[in-house]
Amino acid sequence: MTSNYEFEKEFREQILRCSRCGFCQAVCPVFGATLRPALNARGKMLILKEVMDGKLDLNDELIETLFQCTTCATCYKNCPSGVNVPEIIKLARKDMVRAGSCHPAFKGMNEVLDKHTNIYAEGEPEDFEREKNRQAENVYFVGCVGLYREDESTSATLDLLDRLKVDYTLIDEVCCSGVLEDVGYPIKDHLARKNIEGILATGARTVITGCPYCSRTFNNKPQYAELREKGIRIIHITQFLQGVDFGVQTDKRVTYHDPCDLGRHCGIYEEPRNTIRKIAPNFVEMADNRENALCCGAGGGVRGAYAKNSIAMARRRLDQAEAVGAEIILTECNSCVHNLANAKLRKQKFKIYNTTQFINELMEAAE
Amino acid sequence: MEMQGYNMPEDLYYEENHFWVKEEGDLLVMGMDDFAQVMAGEIVYVQLPDDGKEIKKGKKFAKIESGKWLGKVFAPVNGKIAGVNEELETHPGLINDDCYGKGWMYKIQPDDKGEMETLIHGKEAIEKWLAAEIEKYAEGE
Repeated sequence: MTSNYEFEKEFREQILRCSRCGFCQAVCPVFGATLRPALNARGKMLILKEVMDGKLDLNDELIETLFQCTTCATCYKNCPSGVNVPEIIKLARKDMVRAGSCHPAFKGMNEVLDKHTNIYAEGEPEDFEREKNRQAENVYFVGCVGLYREDESTSATLDLLDRLKVDYTLIDEVCCSGVLEDVGYPIKDHLARKNIEGILATGARTVITGCPYCSRTFNNKPQYAELREKGIRIIHITQFLQGVDFGVQTDKRVTYHDPCDLGRHCGIYEEPRNTIRKIAPNFVEMADNRENALCCGAGGGVRGAYAKNSIAMARRRLDQAEAVGAEIILTECNSCVHNLANAKLRKQKFKIYNTTQFINELMEAAE
Repeated sequence: MEMQGYNMPEDLYYEENHFWVKEEGDLLVMGMDDFAQVMAGEIVYVQLPDDGKEIKKGKKFAKIESGKWLGKVFAPVNGKIAGVNEELETHPGLINDDCYGKGWMYKIQPDDKGEMETLIHGKEAIEKWLAAEIEKYAEGE
């Protein structure tokens, strides 16, 4: 009998392959913050097996478990059976939406992106006092969080690009809408079209993104295929900056938080470290790093829908930074910066930056 | 004072972005009013500046967030931060539970307490302001 559900059609064999060993539970950030077995990957696979067996329906009862996953992929990287949980969850969420069950925050986000150009339903973003949409070698694509939540970090990043005399332009960008694919909805074609046209109009051959998720979306999603077909290179700022000699150093104890979207999802672990080691000889790794880095809790829509648990996850990550005596936590993602900064307690005296912002501060101080 | 479902004590002073202020000895205490906490929904983060931070009347000095909403906290008077409600660091939802009590946000050492008089106060003024605010937000929906 053919299943009604896309997740079953594509992933039935993988779900049945889950041996319930619990390796995922040991590394799941949602479980780590909530201690609820139904919320980790094994629990979710058991529930989806029950759905495939006809014992459960995809309905509102399952919103809390299926929509509470950061899609960080630590479970997948640690799964001896190779079960690709994030992709299964994303497809099950689409089935949930088709069945009429969705977390209201994500239903709202989908509606917001029908009417607005960003996930926060806000008006005009900062223009960062720079001319936009001009002819340039590179487009710097900021992303929603960098435009509306971490604009100071974005401003510093642009200052750094200016110091390095990079030929770039901003565009009248709109949300790449890739995040919708994580929460049960498709990318908005009209938003993708506006971004593609904006990028092509500048004549740029490279798009540098401040957001690793935007980079993933442009590089992988069919809605943005035109960019790739026209030979536009899409890279994250950490890739763009590796190899640059900044000529500054700090003696502070610095650690690095791997964003899931850059690390586990794109395999970019060494580029940021190569840069950081140059500017911070006193670099130290947290206990969980690279493929095993603990998620900050912001991904997969969890920051918007389950904010308290999201911040609890970030606190667990900050505990790891505290344990190695870090004075500075660097990362490469505005969502991570935002969530970690929200989670930081007053007694914790370390500072949290995007690497670009920190380098800019060092260069400014050296002038 | 109950106004169209919102609890707006008439003995408090109100900053136009919906922060209440009251005197406490030499200091002022401020927090978010009931209208704002209802509109914001579940508060998940409140920025708590260090003591001594200078604040300027009408200027943003902190951030506050619910799920997808980011709010700015505006200074009701000129002065300095003289204390913060550290409970909000781990329990920001106290603002939703008890915005005029356990959910207080900041203590301020004002440069001039007389600036309180520039804030919205008195039953009639509060009623007029809130009615206009309710209408404004209803239009925006």
